[in-house]
This record gives sequence, C-alpha cells and structure tokens, in this order.
Amino acid sequence: MKLAFVVQRYGAGIAGGSEMHCRQLAERLASRHDITVLTTCARDYVTWENAYPAGRSVENGVRLQRFPVARTRDLKAFADLSDEVFDGLASAPEREEAWFRANGPDAPALLDYLRAHGAEYDLILFWAFRYAPSFFGVPLVADRAVLVPTAEEDPAIDMDVLPDFFARAAGYLFLTPEEETLVSTRAGRSLRPSRVVGIGLEPERNPHPPRPLLDRLGIPADFVLYLGRVDRNKGCATLLEYFQEYIEAGGQTPLVLAGPSTLMIPEHPRIRALGYVTDDVRHALLSHARALVVPSPYESLSIVLLEAWNHAVPALVNAQCKVLQGQVRRADGGLYYRSSREFQEALSWLLSNEAGRRELGEQGLAYVDREYRWPTVLERVESLLDEVSRRRSAPRA
Amino acid sequence: MTASVDHVMAELQGRVRERVRADLVRHGASSALEDPALFAEIDEMLRVAIDRSQPAALLLPELLGDPSTWRLETAIKYQTHRGTSGAPIMFVKRRLLMPVLRWFYEFSRDNFERQRRINQVLFACVQELAIETTRLRRELRERSGERLDRT
Repeated sequence: MKLAFVVQRYGAGIAGGSEMHCRQLAERLASRHDITVLTTCARDYVTWENAYPAGRSVENGVRLQRFPVARTRDLKAFADLSDEVFDGLASAPEREEAWFRANGPDAPALLDYLRAHGAEYDLILFWAFRYAPSFFGVPLVADRAVLVPTAEEDPAIDMDVLPDFFARAAGYLFLTPEEETLVSTRAGRSLRPSRVVGIGLEPERNPHPPRPLLDRLGIPADFVLYLGRVDRNKGCATLLEYFQEYIEAGGQTPLVLAGPSTLMIPEHPRIRALGYVTDDVRHALLSHARALVVPSPYESLSIVLLEAWNHAVPALVNAQCKVLQGQVRRADGGLYYRSSREFQEALSWLLSNEAGRRELGEQGLAYVDREYRWPTVLERVESLLDEVSRRRSAPRA
Repeated sequence: MTASVDHVMAELQGRVRERVRADLVRHGASSALEDPALFAEIDEMLRVAIDRSQPAALLLPELLGDPSTWRLETAIKYQTHRGTSGAPIMFVKRRLLMPVLRWFYEFSRDNFERQRRINQVLFACVQELAIETTRLRRELRERSGERLDRT
C-alpha cells in the first residue's frame, strides 16, 4: 500500500510517545509498504521552532517530507486560551478550533500538501489528535484517514468539537483498551474499524546485566526506580511526598530517580536523583530495581512500564490513571495506589514479599510476551489497514 | 499459584480502609463510622462519585444558571470600557504590570485549578447522594404503598 504517516515531529532524538510510536511503526513497515512521513521542521514541542531543513530526505530507511512551521507557539496566549476552553463549560466551536491552532505546530504547507496530494495515498495515518496537523488534516482526507489518537484523560478530550472530529476518520489504532473506551465515549459511539495495537518491544537479550555500572554510581542493592522526566505533570511531586511519608513510617528502601528534572528534589538520604542517564545505566537500573514506580496521572500507554516487565520487574502505579491501572490488572504485573497510605501499604508489600514480587514481575513479562512483541503488534496494524482498505474499495450499496 | 493483583489489592485496600476508619473515629468522627461494614459502603460510594466527577457528567452546573455568577475565571482578559482612549491603560496592564505580577498570577492559577477540581468532586458527591436519597425515597414510598395495600 502507499501510505502517508502524519506526525507533529519526527527524528531519532525525539522522545515523545506518539512520535516514537510513529517512527517505530514507519521503520518496521517501510519494507512492506511505500511509506512517506509527512512532518514539520520542529524539534521542540513547546515552541515548535524550525530546527530541521524543510524538504525531502530519508532517515533510517524511511522517506520523509518536512514542512516549515509558520509561527512559534505563543505560550501566554495558549495558556489563556487553555484556561478559557477547559473551564468545564461549553466553549464556542471557533474558540476550541483556535485552541488547536494555538497548540500547533502550525504548518500550513503540510495541510496544503494533504489537500493537493492526499488522494495519491491509499491510506493516511495521523498521530496525536491534539496537534494541529491531525486536527485540521484528518477532515481533508477523511475517507482514507486512520487516526492514532494517543488520547489521555486530560481536559483536552472533553472539547465539544471532538465528537465530530473523532467520527470522521475511516479507521482507528488505539494504544490500550482504556484509550479506546475513552475516545469512543467522547465520540458518543463505538469507533470502527479499530484495533488496540499498543507498541512492540524486543525480548530482553541480557535481562540481568552485572552490577558494576550501578556500583560505580553508588546505587544500593535494593532500590525502587522512577524512570523518566522528573516533572510535576508526571506525578513526581506527589511521588516524592508519598515516598518521604513511607520513609517516615519506617520504610528503608531508597528511591532512585533517573531522568532530567524540572522539580526541586528534596535532599534526602534515601532519595537519589541521577539526572539524565545513558542507555547502559538505564538498562542496568531496570534490570536490578525491586520495583518500578509510575506516578503519572495521565498516560495513553506507559512504555516504561512495559520495559520494566520486559525485565520481569513489577510496578507500582498511580490508580488515578485508568490506563496504568488497567495495564497492571490485565498483566497481573504490579500494584496501584490512590493515596499515601495505599502507596505505603503496596510498596511495603512488594518489598517484603519476595515470592509475590517475583511472581508479579514474571506475570508482567508473560503479558509483554503475549501482547507486545513486534510480530503481534504489526499483525494487528496490518489487519486494520487491510480492513480499512477493503472497506474503501468495496462498492457502496 | 499465580498472584492476583485484584486479590492482593483487595487485601491492602481493606487494611488501609480499616486504618483510616480507626483514625477518623479516634479524631472524633461520627460514631456511625465505628461500624466497619458501613464505613466500607460509604468509602465505596464516595470513590464512585470521585470517579464520575468529569464536568460533562455533572447536573449541578446546569442548575446553577448563569456561569458568570459562579464559575472560576482563571484567564486574565484585558478589557477596557473607554474605547480607543483606554489603549494606554491596556498597555500599562499588559506590558508593565503583568510581567511583574506574573509569578503571583501563576501561583493563584494553580490554586484555582485545585479549587475547580474540588468543586467538581463536591458536585459529584452531592449528585451521588441525591441519587441515593431519591432511590431510598422511592423505595420507602413503594413499601408504604405495599403496607397500605395490605391493610
């Protein structure tokens, strides 16, 4: 099939979840289909400043066409518009559309390209409903658009313009059953054809690397791990608060935070903040952690959770996020918490019940083997693309 | 035997609930909470309400009427009633005062966001209680009707 993948940013160094999902699928499907990624010149998701040259290129075997961003994001105007649109009451559709325009990236040439050349593609896949290329792009090529919403339970999903928007695509790829429920509920109907595909992981070749890397960093034998950006929006402020209460209540096992931080991390003998870590250290941390903590209240799919299970490490997740709770319950691969007391109780259980901890970790690994290996994921994607394609070519009654 | 997350969580949540209940009673909460089974039901009802606190699922905002009289406005709107002669005032507000006061504005905005969430949760709790009360009232009416029929 001749496919276009539309995504707000694209590149090997871009860490965003939807961007990574798009890139991994593009690289794996490029040998089977004629794929062109249509994206912007932006690297920074806050400003959308042009950083890559516009035009055609090939990256890791994938053909790209980059379009310039016409204007950087006005953060003040965007914050004010977000306040207005998310105040819990109905907003005028034009104000909500203005929100999508302000959220950006505003790449009019990309939309012009879709208008002029969209019909040349069999199907066009769009990542992340919240960004302008998807919101304004899907309606231009609705009959062949496949939406990968990567939706989270945040205020943006409640906008009144979304039910119509969601209903327009010809097919849907979801990351989790919770995301499918969320988007279908907002759309007011079941969205078909669709598949819950998730993301693929390679089996861990060296699941138990030796410890020297961690010894050099002074990481103790037993530790609980947080991996990712240390940010208030990721639930880290609450995690730090709960963790200190756990220590005050007699907990001993330290918390290791690995990832760049935007928070003031308290000076505490049982909290170690490593900042950005290399892939080797990341791998060693995941292999040797007693448990992974995922405190984020908003996720459409937690890749780091799947990575921990790939190492047979169980997880402790924020129950406020239905996706995370759903993932650990489906996998039987960890515990969840809603409050500081539940956090303490669940963490103590994981750290004092070795047989149970191991069992949850192994069940998590079995779940990844069952659901998240690339052949399984690609088969689901291919079956959805086939179904949408067949429906498009079927004569209408 | 496989470890069941639901099973472990039920056990942990039961322990937490019992500790919370004991603390509340110790600090002078209603003696009704001395009954663990009753407390478990109350806890469950409030959790359900919190889970259903998304704005689109709430009735009270509809009933409160004109939103300008009760909703939290967190975005600053620069307005003047002086027409074009108000432009210098707007300039002073936007370009001189706002940069100086931005830290305070952002601090307040975070707190307004929390207040908005609390309001929604309280709306949801009141809604859940109203549903329960209405059901009980209806059930009572039906039962008293049955008694009347029998007599």
